[in-house]
Amino acid sequence: MENWREIGATLARNKTRTFLTAFGIFWGTAMLAMLWGGAHGLEGTLRRNFSGFSTNLGAIFPGETSVPYKGFNKGMHWSMTQNDVDVIRRITPDLEYSTTICQNYGTINYGTKSTSAQITGYEPDFSKILIPVVYSGRVFNSSDEAGSRKVALIGKNLAEKLFGTEDPIGKFVSAQGVYFMVVGVIGQTSMASIGGRYDDSLLIPSSTFRRAYNWGNQVNFFMYTVSPGLSPSDLKTQIRRAICMNHPISPDDDKAMWFMDISEEFKMIDNLFLGVSLLALFVGAGSLMAGIIGIGNIMWIIVKERTQEIGIRRAIGAKPRDIIVQILSEGVVLTSIAGLAGVCFATLVLAVVDSQTADPVLGSAGFTLTFSQAIGIVLTFLVLGTAAGTLPAIKAMRIKPIEAMRDK
Amino acid sequence: MIIRLKDINKTYPGVVPLHVLKDINLDIERGELVAIMGASGSGKSTLLNILGILDNYDSGEYFLDGVLIKDLSENRAAELRNRMIGFVFQSFNLISYKNAVENVALPLFYQGVSRRKRNMLAMEQLERMGLADRAHHLPGELSGGQKQRVAIARSLITNPSIILADEPTGALDSTTSHDVMNLFRELNAEGMTIVIVTHDPGVGAATNRIIRISDGRIVPDEPVIAEQPQIIV
Repeated sequence: MENWREIGATLARNKTRTFLTAFGIFWGTAMLAMLWGGAHGLEGTLRRNFSGFSTNLGAIFPGETSVPYKGFNKGMHWSMTQNDVDVIRRITPDLEYSTTICQNYGTINYGTKSTSAQITGYEPDFSKILIPVVYSGRVFNSSDEAGSRKVALIGKNLAEKLFGTEDPIGKFVSAQGVYFMVVGVIGQTSMASIGGRYDDSLLIPSSTFRRAYNWGNQVNFFMYTVSPGLSPSDLKTQIRRAICMNHPISPDDDKAMWFMDISEEFKMIDNLFLGVSLLALFVGAGSLMAGIIGIGNIMWIIVKERTQEIGIRRAIGAKPRDIIVQILSEGVVLTSIAGLAGVCFATLVLAVVDSQTADPVLGSAGFTLTFSQAIGIVLTFLVLGTAAGTLPAIKAMRIKPIEAMRDK
Repeated sequence: MIIRLKDINKTYPGVVPLHVLKDINLDIERGELVAIMGASGSGKSTLLNILGILDNYDSGEYFLDGVLIKDLSENRAAELRNRMIGFVFQSFNLISYKNAVENVALPLFYQGVSRRKRNMLAMEQLERMGLADRAHHLPGELSGGQKQRVAIARSLITNPSIILADEPTGALDSTTSHDVMNLFRELNAEGMTIVIVTHDPGVGAATNRIIRISDGRIVPDEPVIAEQPQIIV
């Protein structure tokens, strides 16, 4: 209590300097906190574009042979079949989730309303690879696929066009003349998509698709994710071997099929985030340094300016510890108050940015600071600031009181 | 014997070491009013610093009120200064942003006396100095004489064994100097031991005993005011 009065008195003594120091600390902590939260938010903003999009995703598309093989000329088109997929699934144990995809573009009717949209056949695993937002109803299950049920998931935008405010669940829509019962309304959060956005498509089970539109066992392409720790490209050899078993394609023909490995793209994005984090760290460390040097500097001035006072205090019986505690507690009080204010200010700014950038569907981008980060920033300033202040305080103790009193 | 110096030597180290105090032997009795006089560079300030435990000495022995003052830690020295010595300086050395009461009370702060109690004691001292109405003024709002009386009040508040005054009238005009010296004489009459370092013969003449110091040695005693009775408590 006694000490608080002393601290209050000395801080109030030079209001301008106290304010400027406090502002320096305030700004330093605020900058650090905003950078930290900002980098987090920036990463969130980028990353939410891919939310629901598996990052260990691969896909294989049929193409055109570039090497003559088994009597077939080069330039031969080949189609992927359910057979190929069965073999791939049999010989490739590292598949996590996988689905065949069949696609068509056609007219969709409901009652008197009609529109054109993508019709896509998926297997139930699709909802684990490109995770949809389910607005109502359900997604496909294995008996939909196994029984080739005539059920459909309707994209949110498509549902609005055809149904308006009406509830589509349980209603029948016709796609290219075939009727399907709508069992779910879905959309997607990810900006990225393969095979068209859910929001604008009509989805039906893959087996139903092939049967309804007479595709036999043909599929468009095959999409899969790999077990943790592996990259989609690791399965290339096995998949290629599976396909070459069923088609007259040379094992050396690199161009006969096209592989897509999303993890490569994500690695690039991860590097970008790493860069952003490093930059934030670098600039943050700079502002931290500037803040600490500011505190140290002001402490040095405080000690310098008060050499005489320190001398007087010591002559009338202040122990070195009393003086050091007094000087340091001034710094600690100032740093705590200004630092907390800085972090609070940064939190406010981040909150505003967060609410401004929040997307109704994608949610918050994460322009936030955890409590421990905020406390960590203040504590770092406190510890380093105190350390910076200790030096001049100890230096002040080296001056004999009698010399200090003569200082003017 | 409140002060006993035995063969005190002090040398300031340097390229040419400066032997400032040479075999100083000095006894001061309780209740004395003593002036230490000498030209500048004579070593009188060094002597005062040693008496005030603000500086240490190389050899010899210094007893203050029966306590051997030698090779003390900074903490112990601070404690002894606080409890046994009251300082009065030429430039007053008041803390500019604290008012008169706070300045007077400051030594008690370092003894851990409660704020209420030390302010009460400080008020008592200020009343004694006739400065009760100036209690809440800052030093900048006081005249030189008032400042010095605040400083004297501060030196008295811990009820010290001795008051050490370093040129207490050096910054004051002659009338005020006279008042301050009268104040010292009054305090001395009440039994306080006072040692004043000065080069002002007028100040010296107002004391009961003059110790002359020249070139680091004490010049043998010559009682100035020979027949003035000493007050012993």
